[in-house]
This record gives sequence, structure tokens and C-alpha cells, in this order.
Amino acid sequence: MSWAASPPAHVAGSALRRTVRSASGVASLAGAAVIWVALLGPVITLLAHLSWPQVSAALSVPGALDPLAVSVESGAITLGVLLVLGTPLAWTLARGSLPFPRFWEAGVLCSLLLPPLVIGLLLIFMVGPYTPIGELLGHVHLSATNTFLALVIAEVYESAPYYVLGAQAAFAAVEPAIEEQAALLGDRPSRVARRVSLPLAAPGLAMALAVAWARAMGAFGAVVIIAYHPFGIPLQIWTTLQETGLPTALPFALVLLVVALPLPLAAYIWSARARGRRRG
Amino acid sequence: MLEADVEVDRREFRLSAAIGVAAGERLALFGPSGAGKTTILEAIAGLVQPRRGTVVLNGRVLTRTAAPRHQVPPWQRRVGLLRQDPALFPHLSVRQNLAYAPAPGTGREEIARIAERLGLRGTLDDLPARLSGGQAHRVALGRLLASRCDALLLDEPYAGLDAGLRRDLTELVRELVAARQVPSMLVAHELEAAQAFADRMAVLDRGEILQLASPAQVVAAPAARRVAELVGYRSFVLVPETGAGVVAGVHPDRVVAGRQPGRGVVLAGPVRSCRPSGAGWEASVEAAGTLVPVRLPDPPEPAAGEPDFVFTVLDPPCFGPDGLRVSRPEEVPT
Repeated sequence: MSWAASPPAHVAGSALRRTVRSASGVASLAGAAVIWVALLGPVITLLAHLSWPQVSAALSVPGALDPLAVSVESGAITLGVLLVLGTPLAWTLARGSLPFPRFWEAGVLCSLLLPPLVIGLLLIFMVGPYTPIGELLGHVHLSATNTFLALVIAEVYESAPYYVLGAQAAFAAVEPAIEEQAALLGDRPSRVARRVSLPLAAPGLAMALAVAWARAMGAFGAVVIIAYHPFGIPLQIWTTLQETGLPTALPFALVLLVVALPLPLAAYIWSARARGRRRG
Repeated sequence: MLEADVEVDRREFRLSAAIGVAAGERLALFGPSGAGKTTILEAIAGLVQPRRGTVVLNGRVLTRTAAPRHQVPPWQRRVGLLRQDPALFPHLSVRQNLAYAPAPGTGREEIARIAERLGLRGTLDDLPARLSGGQAHRVALGRLLASRCDALLLDEPYAGLDAGLRRDLTELVRELVAARQVPSMLVAHELEAAQAFADRMAVLDRGEILQLASPAQVVAAPAARRVAELVGYRSFVLVPETGAGVVAGVHPDRVVAGRQPGRGVVLAGPVRSCRPSGAGWEASVEAAGTLVPVRLPDPPEPAAGEPDFVFTVLDPPCFGPDGLRVSRPEEVPT
């Protein structure tokens, strides 16, 4: 037995610690990978089960892509409505300039927490044909049941809280000291908003808008009740599933993902890069 | 010329201050945290609405609470304010920050000159996130210089920086104030920072200006015991020959070893503690019934054969029972 070959006890201890640390590193990496794959499982499954001839067959049926057009159009209008109406609300919520700010926030949260199906039911009672609002709409020859307008209304209700809360967080993250400095340098409040607050909040706003877009594209619960027609993609998936079964519904699921995901992903990448640059 | 006479209600006290700063003059507002120093600057900048008062800058009325009421919004005041956070615009390059609000006639060349003067030429295309703390503060200063700014307010802007950087930046501001001939005010809670900057010092405590004098005078002749405490007098000893209840303020730095009655008040007592402090020694001597902290170049030791350490407090200011300064008998009134 050679004494010289055995390392001193503290070296052995530190080697052991290093092994444990690297083992725990490997374990946490493996754990993270498992969870990540599990989260992405549905997407992976979708890609695994698609047969491309089936996809092209399903999508080449005349009118097969009409629901896509309906979804994109209604989604775009929904985003416009959210930008115009939701942004000022998010701004005032972030500034705390409203009396009883918690009360207002609770209202937005309430609409976030309502199940979409319930929203659909309640919308019938709110804007349906025999309600005051429905009658008003009738005067201008509009209807908010089973129309394009109804679809937009349902999508707005399903996506608005996501946008408003996200935009509020984006505005709240703008440092007041920076806006104060802009004012002291001679900018009136509207100019401060344009030159400082909005550009600084833009990455957060883009993320909020992207999330709202994904919600609007996938809106189903409220839509199925108040706007069964015209078909958007989610309803297309649903009815195809019911009428002809799983394999024929899958291609439309792919279409929905392809349409709904790129914008959020692009917004995410852009805002992450903008934030990174500003943080240095 | 900047004239401010404002009253602002604070939670614990009412801030009330009247201050005039001439063009090119540097005034320091010195006082402990929470004395209301920053509030004065904010009232001048229009960020705080005073309860009562006026703010006039170069003859322009910025605030007047008496009829006819007048309150110019911050963005029309042309008052520059630097705080500890340089508050650069993080989405704009250094050049765009400098040129954020250029004064009329400030073109690209002028911006380049300012950048050159502040040592920022190599950073013009960088985003603020890439700057060091000192560079960021220089950009903030340059941004004010490039803008139209009739008064310069500094709210302890360099408090978080290391000493060398702080000295450089303070020197820079002094030069620029002299060159631009704008009135300037610095808020400081450290005496050295105020002294390094100012021609004149206002000592503020609990919303009240206790003394307005030159930095040397504030330390040599504090107007009240509270002022003396704020500028570093650490002990107050009863001096029998000056009258009942009169105390002399002892500043640890204004003490010499030995008996020199011609230069001040002689005290004696046993040394209770002694430790190195900087290049000298800080000791605590029990004298005149209290512990007197002193700082001396050599460790204090009683002279041979004497039980007590004898030292002379140089020309100490004396305060009556009401806390106000009184003259010592041998002092010649000025």
C-alpha cells in the first residue's frame, strides 16, 4: 500500500463534492429536458401523426381554407380593437391615476377568470337579438349572433384581459425617473409618452399583443355559443372531428398552429433582443 | 438669478425655505436625510406644488401661489435636475441621449464638442447599458448642457460613486457652472461633498434653514448648537468662565495636544479609549464631566508626572441654554 498515492483527505472531499455537484447538474438538466419535452409533447405528437398526403388532401378540398381567412380577419380586427381600447385602459391602470385602482384591476381579472363557455352564455344575454343592445344593432341591420361581428366580439372578450394585463405590466415597468427627466428636458406629457414611455414599453406591449393573438386565434368556448357561424379554424377542427373523426381534423390543427404561433414567437424574439440590448 | 421662497407640508413638519442663488453661484443645501432638501429642489423644478410661495428664475415667475396664481409645468421651466440615478434613455444611443432636447442652435458639432469635453467621444454610438457609472453621469450632465437649461439642480448625484470619480465630476460641474453662468444648487448630506462644491451653504434641519453662510464659516462659527452637531461637533462641554449653562462645542479635528490657553479652551482628563483612525488616532478623553472624542496625529498620553491628558480645544463656538451661539468673553465680537 502506497501512502503517497492516496490523496489528502480534503482533496478527496472536494473531488467528491465536485462529483456530487456535476451529478446534480446532470440530474437537473435531465429533469428540465423531460419537462420541456412533456410540455412540447402535443406538438411533437401532432407532427408524428400527420401524414402529408392526408394534409394536402384535406386542405385541397374546395373552401377548406375559408375558415383560415375568417380566423385571420377576425383576429386582426380583434387586435385592432384591443390596441385602440385596451392600451389606454392599461396605461391608466399602470399609472394608478384612477380612483380605487384595485377595483378596476379586479374587473379586468374577473373577465380573465370567467370560463370562455360562460362568457359565451352571458354574451347571448347581453348582445343577443332580444336584448336592448341587440335591438340597437338591429336598427343598423347588424346582429351579434352567428355573424362575423359576433365572432369578433367573442374573440375580444376571450383575449382582452390577456392584453390589458400584459400591457399594464409593460407600462408599469417604465421607470418614472426616466419620464420625469424627459419632462424636465422640455417634453410635454404627450411627447414623453411618444418618445420615451411607448418605446420603452414596446417589447412588453408586443408580447401582450402576441399572447392576445394566440388567444383570439384559438378562441372556442365563447365562439361556439355565440358565433357558430361563420366558421373559424377552431370550429372547423371541432366539426371535422365530430363528423369525420380524428385523422381528418389533424391537418386543421396544424393550420391553426402555423397561423397562431409565428407572430407570438417573432414578438418574443424581438422583445427579448430589445430588452437584452437595453440591459447591456 | 434663482429665487425660491416656498412652504411645503411634509408628514412630520412644514418645510419653509427662502433662498436666492445668483448667476454662476453654487449653493449647497446641507442637512441630514429627511430634512427636506430634495423637496426644495423638486419645488423649484415644478415636480412638487408648494403650499405657499414663489419661485422666480431670471425674472420669469415659475410658481406663485398668491393671486394671480401661476404654476409653470416642469417641461416649460428650463430647470435641469440631476439625481443619483442618471435616468438616461435606455433605448437611445449616447449621441441621441445628448441630443434629446437640444437648445436652439445646438447642432451636431456642438454635441460633438460637449462629448469631447466630457470624454465621451468613443461611446457616442453605444447604448447606455454599456456605460460605466461615471460615464453615465457624464452623459446625464452633457444632456443638460446640450439642452436649454437656465438653472442646475443637483440632488446628491454622485453619492454612489467612488471618491476619485466624485471629485472629478464635482470639479467638472464647478467649471461648467462658471462657464455657463447659471445658478446652481447641490443637495448634500455629507459635509465634504457640500464643501467641495459650494460658495455658500444653507444648513437645513427639519424643514428649516438654520444658517446660510460660507462653508468655512458654517464650520468655524455655527449659528446654533444643532448646526454644530450637523457639521461634526461631537461633544459639548460646560465652560464655567463663560456663564451659566453655556457650553463649548468640541470638534474632534479642532483639538491640539498640550496647554495653549491663548488659542482656545484647555481641557484635561484621563484617556478612556484610543484607536488608529486614518493617518492619526481617535481617542476618547473624559473631561469636564463628559466623554470628548478627539482626533490627533499622535496617540494622546499624559505628560510625565501628570495623571491627565491635557489638550486645547481651538477657538470653540459657545452656545447658550437656548442653543444659540454666544460669544466667549475673550472673543472679540465681529
